Amino acid sequence: MPENIALGKSLPRVDAMEKITGKATYASDVYLPGMLMCKLLTSTESHARIVRLDVSQAEALPGVRAVITGKDYPDVRFGSGALKDRRIMATDEVFYIGEPVAAVAADDEITAREAVELIEVEYQPLPVVVDPLQAIRDDAVPVHEDLESFEGYGFAGGGNNCTLLDADRGDVVQAFKDADHTFEETYQSQPINQGFLEPMACVAELEPNGRLTVWASTQGPYQVRAQLALVLDIPVSRIKVIAMELGGGFGAKLRLALEAFPAMLAMKSGRPVKLINTREEAFTLNGPRLETNIRLKTGVMNDGRIVAREAYSIFDVGAYLGAGPNSGVGHALGPYRIPNFKLRSYGVYTNKIYVGSYRASGVADMTFAVESHMDSVAHQLGIDPFEFRSINAVEEGDISVSGARLPKNGLRETMQALKERLGLPKIMGEDRGVGIALGEWRSGSGPSTASISVNDDGTISMLTGSVDISGSDTSMAQIAAETLGITLDQVVVPKRDTDMAPFTGPSGGSRIVYSQGKAVQLAAEDARDKLMALASDRLGVPPAALVCEKGKIYVQDNTPQQVTLAQLASMSLTSPQGPIVGTASLSSMPYAPVFNAQAAEVLVDRETGRVKVTRFVQAQDVGVAINPMSVIGQLEGGAVQGIGRALSEELQIDPETGRVLNPSLATYLMPLAVDMPEIETILINVPTDDGPFGARAVAEPPGFGPPAAIANAIYDAIGVRIKELPFTAERVLAAIKGQEPKAGFIDIEALLGGESPQE
Amino acid sequence: MKKPLRLTVNGETRDFPVEPYYSLLDALRDELHLTGTKKGCDEGDCGACTVLMDGVPVTSCLVLAHSAHDTQVRTIEGLAGEGLADSRGLHPVQQAFVTYGGLQCGFCTPGLVMSAVGLLQDNPDPSLDDVKYAIGGNLCRCTGYSKVIESIMAAAQEMRNNNG
Amino acid sequence: MARFEYLEARTLRQAISLLQRHGDEARIVAGSTDFLVRWRAGVWQPKYVVNIGRIASMGRVSYSRRLGLRLGALVTLGGLETHPQVRRNYPALSAAASSFAGVQVRNLATVGGNICNASPAGDTLPALLAFDAQCKIAGPEGERWVALNEFFTGPGQTVLRPGEILTEVRLPPPLPNSGSLYIKHSPRGAMDIATLGVASVISLEDSGRVCRNVRIGLGAVAPTPIRASAAESILWGREVTPELIRSAAEAARAEAKPINDVRGSAEHRLEMVEVLTQRTLERALGMARGNQMTFETQRELAVQAVF
Repeated sequence: MPENIALGKSLPRVDAMEKITGKATYASDVYLPGMLMCKLLTSTESHARIVRLDVSQAEALPGVRAVITGKDYPDVRFGSGALKDRRIMATDEVFYIGEPVAAVAADDEITAREAVELIEVEYQPLPVVVDPLQAIRDDAVPVHEDLESFEGYGFAGGGNNCTLLDADRGDVVQAFKDADHTFEETYQSQPINQGFLEPMACVAELEPNGRLTVWASTQGPYQVRAQLALVLDIPVSRIKVIAMELGGGFGAKLRLALEAFPAMLAMKSGRPVKLINTREEAFTLNGPRLETNIRLKTGVMNDGRIVAREAYSIFDVGAYLGAGPNSGVGHALGPYRIPNFKLRSYGVYTNKIYVGSYRASGVADMTFAVESHMDSVAHQLGIDPFEFRSINAVEEGDISVSGARLPKNGLRETMQALKERLGLPKIMGEDRGVGIALGEWRSGSGPSTASISVNDDGTISMLTGSVDISGSDTSMAQIAAETLGITLDQVVVPKRDTDMAPFTGPSGGSRIVYSQGKAVQLAAEDARDKLMALASDRLGVPPAALVCEKGKIYVQDNTPQQVTLAQLASMSLTSPQGPIVGTASLSSMPYAPVFNAQAAEVLVDRETGRVKVTRFVQAQDVGVAINPMSVIGQLEGGAVQGIGRALSEELQIDPETGRVLNPSLATYLMPLAVDMPEIETILINVPTDDGPFGARAVAEPPGFGPPAAIANAIYDAIGVRIKELPFTAERVLAAIKGQEPKAGFIDIEALLGGESPQE
Repeated sequence: MKKPLRLTVNGETRDFPVEPYYSLLDALRDELHLTGTKKGCDEGDCGACTVLMDGVPVTSCLVLAHSAHDTQVRTIEGLAGEGLADSRGLHPVQQAFVTYGGLQCGFCTPGLVMSAVGLLQDNPDPSLDDVKYAIGGNLCRCTGYSKVIESIMAAAQEMRNNNG
Repeated sequence: MARFEYLEARTLRQAISLLQRHGDEARIVAGSTDFLVRWRAGVWQPKYVVNIGRIASMGRVSYSRRLGLRLGALVTLGGLETHPQVRRNYPALSAAASSFAGVQVRNLATVGGNICNASPAGDTLPALLAFDAQCKIAGPEGERWVALNEFFTGPGQTVLRPGEILTEVRLPPPLPNSGSLYIKHSPRGAMDIATLGVASVISLEDSGRVCRNVRIGLGAVAPTPIRASAAESILWGREVTPELIRSAAEAARAEAKPINDVRGSAEHRLEMVEVLTQRTLERALGMARGNQMTFETQRELAVQAVF
């Protein structure tokens, strides 16, 4: 069995050299001759009609080349999904503080800023609703009065409900009656920002042939292209999107964000236009996550089996449905076998910045609730929390919420690995505690394409439409290299754009290695088959008798009888088949779950309320690690994002106006090196049947568990359960004193005005 | 109105006109086209703009460009030797980041590397805590810091080996 | 956004004369760690920026057993953090300096800037107050001295008159048998503005039991950094016991007048004043009795969660 040539090796990233020398080009590093700088005017009102908008003084300022307002755009609504509730720029009405109202392009940034200050706006305030628990009520102030006329709107229960998802199985009413015990709790997760280091930026230029070129900071170039076409009302084929090196996205940059502003200004001024978000705008313009209120009810038997679950989750989506509340249904059970359930997930409009995605949006919220609740129930039953999870954990063959059969997976292995590493069950010292949380996700699917061409010298060029957000270019190149029996440095990974690479789904949702990587593997196999066929002709033996390895194809057990890939490439030019290109295209991949088990050890200061995470351990089933260093890097980074969510990150929102009160890295507190423990990561390998070389998705699950693991550890340490995030010193002290948290108990029935309409 | 500024950047003395309200970061990026140093927040809170100014790490977004006149500035572009195609041209800190996975999206990386270079200049044998405090002003969202710290410790070891 | 002209002063006299000439339209910068941020936010809109950061006479540190510490106003926070004489003789000050922002900002920010910014939460300020700092001010009328305790008049406001510049800060030499500690209450171990900060400096009579001198500086619990003088009087000249320390801590709480803001509620700050006053006094007392603490330990206690 030959040793792997690329698979499973911790090889340096293919883009390491340009990044480490400062030569990598991010969108804000693009400078074009004659380029103008763009600045935005944004709404200062939470909800208002625009009575007057006068840009004449701005236009008259020397150095200003173009000014646009919402009226410059075609009268089109778009959305992140089926519901089209949003205009790219406000026309008659604004719905949140920070919503773009006008944009200026000027010779330099300071002139653009001065011009923005010269724009006159008059607003007529309209009623405002900020609290989602108020907004969901039938009698609530409407955010969108014409909600029912939006394309894609499905009746969802009135009030400011814009979407309702549900799932039912069995008979929860009876099951709760039959249960030995019933527990009901409410949890709340906080508004949070993705915290990418690179503020969004975009350069747009109208080419002489009428095509628009866009250099974007994006995870979804094809999605941006499609949405730009829609909002500008020009054909998709007239737009080229170049996804530049990306300085972090984490879901924030999956869709059209600010590209339409420099695009329209470029079209109006005839010059290239650049827009770079300020850090403040990264908090107020971009879709973050808003609060989620989750009520869980669980019925259990004395022996620890869970027999029923009812869950109501209310997701505040802000002014537009930027991301749906799918996890309120998909993740209300956790990785547990629950035969009877009733799950409802609401998306509610409020007058705040609209939501986006963040590393599996909403799943971290749900996991916080479900995994804290599991511990709470276990303690109240007098069962060890690990054992309680063990009793109820899903097995291969179980049917998931969505109806899919659970294939083989590593859940038990991750649990066992965590238990062994920590030495559970474990008594910690005074004010110290340990807590665990399990997480589940699925490997992403969606349209994926790849093509592999063999170069004259026997190296290959690998073309895909994905964006490298996690070292995926390197992993995909390793997949291609392994398939063709060549070293990684023989794989060319070009910088690409939407003109040259075939359509692919967005780079996110843990899609790239599993789905896109599969396309790469299939394309590489296609190329290999063609090479083998050619070699077979040349060497006079059937392909089955040939081995493709180390840059050549040779007859098995007779290595001297060989031909190099370079020779084959040359031969192919005059062969009947022509030059060698392997291609693959797929639109969906089989369900491949990802499970992880995480644990935190904490030390709590009872007098100041501060919590220190002294140790963090995680085990995740990765299937097969294409590049272990890259995989571990993703898991460490995700875990620390989760710790930030647990301890210090919170978008503080003004309860009267919905304004973001802390739009700055000085007051939005992300984890720093001085506070983080070493992250211990254990890779579990239960290969999938269908992923490339058995790989599963990797990147999203590590962010799910830390808040619950830390909450459970705090409970273990000081006997206090905190049901709201983050665990600031004040919140911890309030909990120690037994003060009621803000979330309290949500009377769902009252909020919805009686039983949910679906009943 | 732009006024002349003299800076020695990566060993080369440059005279060029700069607006009074430009930061050192703006001057490096917009006027000298050294775009390796990044603007993450423009408020001194993230460290992505870190350069060495007269040998010490500073957040260049806070420094008025003209106040830096006649100083020696070292940026990420000034670390590697000639011939970038040859990885032997990389500074040991750069090489360590590449080998040990200290970088992912790369946006915080130039600033982080400069902070590390600044640390190792003064403290060739840092403890783990020394490293953590030295990069305490550099935000990274991708790595969670473990591999960053590992890279810096490895670079320190390598540099001590090189110096005998 | 008002565009401005950049001017530089090479000497103190030049600086004062530039300030006189341009009056309200001029603003001084030294480390400039605040200026560009506030200018971009539209808060500071001068027509002239006067850089005093190159005035050589203002950048020196000197220490003598007799006169104590002399800090030029341009000494950076990084300098305060690392200078051996500061670490040895005013450990709470070097620890406080190390808790401020991050390395990069500390290499730029000056102690004069920290003082003249007059933020109620300024990290070096409680420690400077607790070490009895005196401020030397130079202006058109000549020089004058003001105790730091009388320097602040409100958030961001000082006794500086038009044309005046803070040039030097002096700390008296440490008394025998003394110890000090600064604790900063904030969510993270770096970069944060303090939710509150407490610095205690205590020195004992040779018996090691009676308090000869005590100063407690409180940050972010009043419109300016303040001394907890009522708490101090409880300890002055008395035998220091745990009960006495507790009383002093309670008294400090009564003197604090915090507000609610994004970093914390007033109620939380009041609670923490008591907790941190107690802790800083206890540790400072230990040092005064001979338990030495390394700089690293001081820093750890200053910023890291959990005792």
